[in-house]
Amino acid sequence: MEKIIEIENLTKSYGNGRGIQDINLDIVRGDIFGFLGPNGAGKTTAMKIMTGLIRPDRGDVKIFGHSVTEEYELAMEKVGCLIEIAESYAYLSAFDNLKQLARYYPEVDHQRIEEVLELTGMSKYKHEKPKKFSLGMKQRLGLSAAILSRPQVVILDEPLNGLDVEGMIDIRRMIHHLAEQEQTTFFISSHLIHDVELTCNRIGVIYNGKMLNVESTQTILNNYATLENYFVSEVERNGRVSSCAR
Amino acid sequence: MAVFQAALVNEIEKLYKKKKALVAVLLSLAVIVIGQLAIVGVRSGFGLRGAGSVEFPMLVLSVVVNTVLPLFTALVTIDSFSGEYSQNSMRITLTRPVSRFKIFTAKITAIVLFILAMLLLLLIFSMVVGFMFNTNSATWDSLGRTVFSYLVSLLPMAVLALGIVLLANLFKSGISVFFISILAFIVFKVLGVLFSQYSSLFMTTQLDWYNLFLVNSFPLGKIMRQFMIMLGSGIMLFTAGFYLFDKKEF
Amino acid sequence: MKVKKKTAMLVSFTLGTLLLATTALADIVTKSGYDQLKDALKVTAEQSSDKFDSFTMDFSIAMKDNGTTLGTINEIHKYDRSKSASENISSRERINGDNDSSQTYSDKTTYIRVSESDPTYYVTEYPQERKEEAFSNPFKEDGADDIEKIADAVVGSLKDHVVVTENSDGSKGLVGSLTEVQIPSLVNAVASFQMKQEFNGRQDDLPHLTKDVFVKEVKGTAKVNKDGVLESILGSAVLSGKDEQGTVHEISVEALFKISDINATKVRKPDLTGKKVVKDTAREYGSEITNPEKFVGKFKNDILLEKDDKFVKVGEQIMEISHFDNQTLTGQYYEVYKPGFEEYANSERNFKFNAKKSDQKNSSEFEYTTESGSKRSIYVDGHSGQVYLNGVSMSRGNLILDSSFRPDLE
Repeated sequence: MEKIIEIENLTKSYGNGRGIQDINLDIVRGDIFGFLGPNGAGKTTAMKIMTGLIRPDRGDVKIFGHSVTEEYELAMEKVGCLIEIAESYAYLSAFDNLKQLARYYPEVDHQRIEEVLELTGMSKYKHEKPKKFSLGMKQRLGLSAAILSRPQVVILDEPLNGLDVEGMIDIRRMIHHLAEQEQTTFFISSHLIHDVELTCNRIGVIYNGKMLNVESTQTILNNYATLENYFVSEVERNGRVSSCAR
Repeated sequence: MAVFQAALVNEIEKLYKKKKALVAVLLSLAVIVIGQLAIVGVRSGFGLRGAGSVEFPMLVLSVVVNTVLPLFTALVTIDSFSGEYSQNSMRITLTRPVSRFKIFTAKITAIVLFILAMLLLLLIFSMVVGFMFNTNSATWDSLGRTVFSYLVSLLPMAVLALGIVLLANLFKSGISVFFISILAFIVFKVLGVLFSQYSSLFMTTQLDWYNLFLVNSFPLGKIMRQFMIMLGSGIMLFTAGFYLFDKKEF
Repeated sequence: MKVKKKTAMLVSFTLGTLLLATTALADIVTKSGYDQLKDALKVTAEQSSDKFDSFTMDFSIAMKDNGTTLGTINEIHKYDRSKSASENISSRERINGDNDSSQTYSDKTTYIRVSESDPTYYVTEYPQERKEEAFSNPFKEDGADDIEKIADAVVGSLKDHVVVTENSDGSKGLVGSLTEVQIPSLVNAVASFQMKQEFNGRQDDLPHLTKDVFVKEVKGTAKVNKDGVLESILGSAVLSGKDEQGTVHEISVEALFKISDINATKVRKPDLTGKKVVKDTAREYGSEITNPEKFVGKFKNDILLEKDDKFVKVGEQIMEISHFDNQTLTGQYYEVYKPGFEEYANSERNFKFNAKKSDQKNSSEFEYTTESGSKRSIYVDGHSGQVYLNGVSMSRGNLILDSSFRPDLE
């Protein structure tokens, strides 16, 4: 299968001892990859490196074979992303915010902007400025921005943050829709186990900055009662290993 | 190039959608109006001519180049960098398929275009006001020199902006960048007076370099030296600023 | 790629630094025309006060209004440093015919003055030799450095308006000109205001500019010889403005300064044979009064009152000095009123003083403390034979009081 994202020996450590160590991961076309881990496990760090917001100490990320650290423009050409909090310019309307981003993609026109706003349910707020938006609305706008360019890969960091139940269902439906209709590959991080179970078809567990295991959702559910069981056993096994090593 | 253009258009759009640009324009126009009122006052009060139609734009330039322009250059520059850092909105652009070098260059280009627009606006408005309210003293030569003076003022102002960009990438808060800029501005001004033999090295003295173009003999050597000094410091500040910007983590 | 980027950044930073450093260095070394002019002035002043045995300085100013000469001033100063002698010939002509010329001569022991209007030679002889230099370097005076800094700051970016041409023999020509656009508006406004006030003084022969006054042009040329000495400097300025009738006046002022006959100037003492001469021995030289006892006695002045549009004498202010020896001065002050004006008398204004010479050098000030504790001073002017008592001149009602006292010799 075609490798879309290749993560090799990715290491980044912060002064406080947190960070990520030697992460190796391949994402193939069609994956809705769930990046599961507790708060502070290193999910955001890894994703920030993947989207070029921070530089790794060691290792590299290749998207469509282009290194993020060296050929950033090529690597990011077919990538849409939403990292941490969905940011927008408070003084520009929702529509103008997307228009800003549209300029980087020659094929995105006004009609496409309308389309993604419709898709995320933001159409009726398109002329309003985000300073009045709720967290959920901002998140929807951020998702619109991430999928604006019909990217082949979408990297989402906690995409359901701040959304109500209805919002979560909408977004999940949208992800499945894109994966089926446009063969979009997703890389989604979350600390919500249930959510990952429902959304993703492959799951990687990160704990204390280390990748523990990567398995398809199907296989996991065949072997464990729930994803939660799998997660707990993986974490415990890792704890044992590291205590042995000690 | 298309990517750079997109980044540049974005920066310009952001600049003009913000209220700051409008305030800058209004304040500049206010300077002109106040200046003209002052001259009318001086004329009727003291019997002096104050300024003729061509001297008026030069008077305006000599004032704004040391006050309003650096102030708004600082505000716009700090907003473009520190402002986006603090609101995390820098990420919006950074995660798009555009290199940091292009973003950095686009930001600076937008600031330079802003300064140019301000200069042109001030030039046109002060000329109109100058011709309307003051005795005509224009010759083609003086008119040409006036226009030229405004245009060449772009260069030192751009170097000043680059200096502030460096500061904005060194210090976290926009407010501290602003105050450090103002402090540095005043210190340089004072040093320029105290050590006048070295004054051509100070950014603040270079703001007045348009005067060189008013000299009848056209002091090419001096102009070239000033140009090289500004170019050199511009390159230095640009590189240092970009180095920090490129290394920054968001 | 990564290495390439770092290298590019390093190269461009280095390039920028080098460019900045080399041009900055070149710029500091290169002297602007203004700096060269300043250097020439300094060299000239220094050579004139230290090195040249003798030289002649010419100084002339001409003022014209729309081409008509309003007045001229010409001065020739001849200095002979070896003899500490100097000769001074000055003449002025005014459009109203108020012409004047005078000549002075000065050496260590004599000072002679004669003028066209009064062909008497006034000769002052000094019993002690004077130590004054014939010409002192103005750049060595106190505060000259500060004035230079202020001048530099004011001139600021105008420095480069001075253009230098170097001649093959090592001499230099300096030319500078400023037209209205080139003169900073603020400088122009301040200068025109100054000039306007100057012209609108009491001189009736000058046009009174009331409207649209501005400095139109300033020009200057200078010649510096191969030794760096300023040989001549010619400056001119044009002030434009309208008088009350709306007539436009262009007033030009031209000033020329020349140094010539270096080491070849002869200062001649005027030949007094057969001339009308008034001789006089220098009285006080410095602050010491040669025979202080002449100041012991009664000094007075008249107290006046303005009444029915006339001045009326109502009494006298009297200062009785009982002791004076250049170090201390004692006595008393009181007022005497004529009959009919006694109501003005005031006991507060009747006091004794015991004043001591102030610490300041070369001062003829004597300080005393009043009963109320405030410090006052007395000046003794040996030259005019007057004593000034501070603090008694404030007017009360219509009374006119004065602080200067002359000896009561009746």
